[in-house]
Amino acid sequence: MNTAKELYAYRQMIFSLVKKDLRGRYKGSVLGFLWTFINPLLQLVVYTIVFSFILKTNIERYYLYLFVALIPWIFFSSSITVGAASVVAQKDLVKKIYFPRMVIPISYVTSCFVNMLLCFIVIFGVIIISGAGLNFLALLCLPVIMAVEYLLALGMAMLTSAVTVYFRDLEHILGIISMAWMYMTPIMYDKSIVPDELLPVFNLNPMTHVIGCYRAVLYYKEIPDLASLLSAAGLGVLFLIIGVLVFNRLQRHFAEEL
Amino acid sequence: MLNETAIEVRNVKKSFKVYLDKGSQLKERLLFSKRRRCEVRDVLREISFTVSKGEAVGLIGRNGCGKSTTLKLLTKIMYPDEGTITMNGRVSSLIELGAGFHPDMSGRENIYTNAAIFGLTKKEIDSRLEDIIAFSELEDFIDNPVRTYSSGMYMRLAFSVAINVDADILLIDEILAVGDANFQAKCFNKLKEIKANGTTIVIVSHSLGQIEQICDRSIWIHEGVIRAQGSPKEIDLEYLDFMSQKIQENNRRDLEKKQQQEQQSRENEAEQKAPPAEDTPQAKKRWGNGNARIKKITVFSENGSQQEVFRTGESISLKIDYNVNERVPDAVFGIGIFNRDGVQCYGTNTRIDKLPEFELTENGTFTINLKHTGLLAGEYLIDIAIETGDGIPVDYYREAAKIVMLSAMGDVGIARLQHNWELGSRIFEVI
Repeated sequence: MNTAKELYAYRQMIFSLVKKDLRGRYKGSVLGFLWTFINPLLQLVVYTIVFSFILKTNIERYYLYLFVALIPWIFFSSSITVGAASVVAQKDLVKKIYFPRMVIPISYVTSCFVNMLLCFIVIFGVIIISGAGLNFLALLCLPVIMAVEYLLALGMAMLTSAVTVYFRDLEHILGIISMAWMYMTPIMYDKSIVPDELLPVFNLNPMTHVIGCYRAVLYYKEIPDLASLLSAAGLGVLFLIIGVLVFNRLQRHFAEEL
Repeated sequence: MLNETAIEVRNVKKSFKVYLDKGSQLKERLLFSKRRRCEVRDVLREISFTVSKGEAVGLIGRNGCGKSTTLKLLTKIMYPDEGTITMNGRVSSLIELGAGFHPDMSGRENIYTNAAIFGLTKKEIDSRLEDIIAFSELEDFIDNPVRTYSSGMYMRLAFSVAINVDADILLIDEILAVGDANFQAKCFNKLKEIKANGTTIVIVSHSLGQIEQICDRSIWIHEGVIRAQGSPKEIDLEYLDFMSQKIQENNRRDLEKKQQQEQQSRENEAEQKAPPAEDTPQAKKRWGNGNARIKKITVFSENGSQQEVFRTGESISLKIDYNVNERVPDAVFGIGIFNRDGVQCYGTNTRIDKLPEFELTENGTFTINLKHTGLLAGEYLIDIAIETGDGIPVDYYREAAKIVMLSAMGDVGIARLQHNWELGSRIFEVI
């Protein structure tokens, strides 16, 4: 409770770190902030070419099917992989001055989150141009899904960023883990093709539910399955609690280990 | 109200693991687990103290005694291994100034980022912005990127932010080395003002003068425990005494080493029988026709004890033993005192002082007594010379002796001039 109060007092710091990160991300590049939109668009072009001409699938509008799942996934995976290095990257601050250390992963995940929100402009643009249409009632669920994913990503980022301080290899190991995790989540394929014996594993994976919900709203234009959303939310809260507990325990020796 | 506690430190212990060969990678951890020798260094053995609201406390001690660690524990950058620390109120620290400054952003933007790190909200920063800029005296540059600032300007901006946080507790580590003398004086006055407003202050400093001016109490930390605490005047003197003994010990060790080396080189010289080269530093340190030679220099205090460390205002005596190789009919003795920067602080000889010329026929000694030496804190090198009446050097010995002066007062310059103050009919003597 105290932590929450303190974090609220430091909201200006979180805000300024997010701003700095977003502004600094494409600093010095010619197209600058436009990259936020160009990047996902180019990815979309690549996937469309590959899956329409080479690896033909029988899923209708596969590019959209993939795209609405991929953007949320990129948010999640960059939160845990790059987020893992966030505390180490701010070591000058951590060693020199006091502030609630959680500010660092929070602001990092938040900046990734804002980035995802901007990408959603591209998603909506593609949906409208492709003529797929939208279900506005289902869209009301979107903020809830995003919030659940935010909690999940934050919990993971707290965990990874704190452990990385003591164990730097984690940063590199996470590259492999996140790739494996991506293939263990129905992003490029449909959950229906998963063999029955593997289903329990997939159901324990919170991202299966999150991606499923995004896809229901944006691709199938229907209100997501409530059970799926609830289990994702439950897992999200659990992740966050574990993340906060571990982070609080480990942060005591940050200044010495960095 | 006065007796309310602002800081309570109870039985705090802290040790660091010092890895001689640290590996934080998996490979290193697995493969070289035996190689990871580490030493546990107890920095704080057990420390307890309390600071009441509005009190100013100075932490003193030599390097590595744990005073900076104590300050870091107070800011919660680090946590104690054992014991508890309670802080009542908002804490601001002037430990690392300018943390989080971004060189490409303007001074104004950096004020916002930096102040946010201290936990200020945008509204609070808005209301302080004018004060911060005014205090930093950077009005004309505030919208330029910080990377265009000089280091002095940079520190001024950082200090202005930190000092305008309006904390209940202010922690300071060696900060009053900010900017030019003018700005330092300003910071100092600001600190006094802040203290007068009831802010609790903890200072770590090597400048005992500053501590005496601001603090109500000194805490002397020695090897991880509190050795003494009390009024700054008393504790600082006790600390100075202790330090002077330490310095003397070190100097004696250095001297012994030097003498050993000299003896060795003399032996070598004798073996080689070669004349010393004119331009080697060793040769340059000493010159003259050699008819008489300085043999030994002893530095001692008023009460006759041999020492190299003195407090400003003490009397210092130098006794010089000399050998005579050939008769010198008109000898003049001289002395020159130089500070670390090579500035001559004082110099005289028996001719200047209108003494007669001396005839040297056999080995002997001469002594000069410097009464109430006003040299301020620092290291001084002393040249000793014997020359003839016409000014031809017989033995000029550069940097023949070294003395260290210590001072508890904060006066500045080269030497303390004896003075007093008169206000109306009252006269204030300065000890």
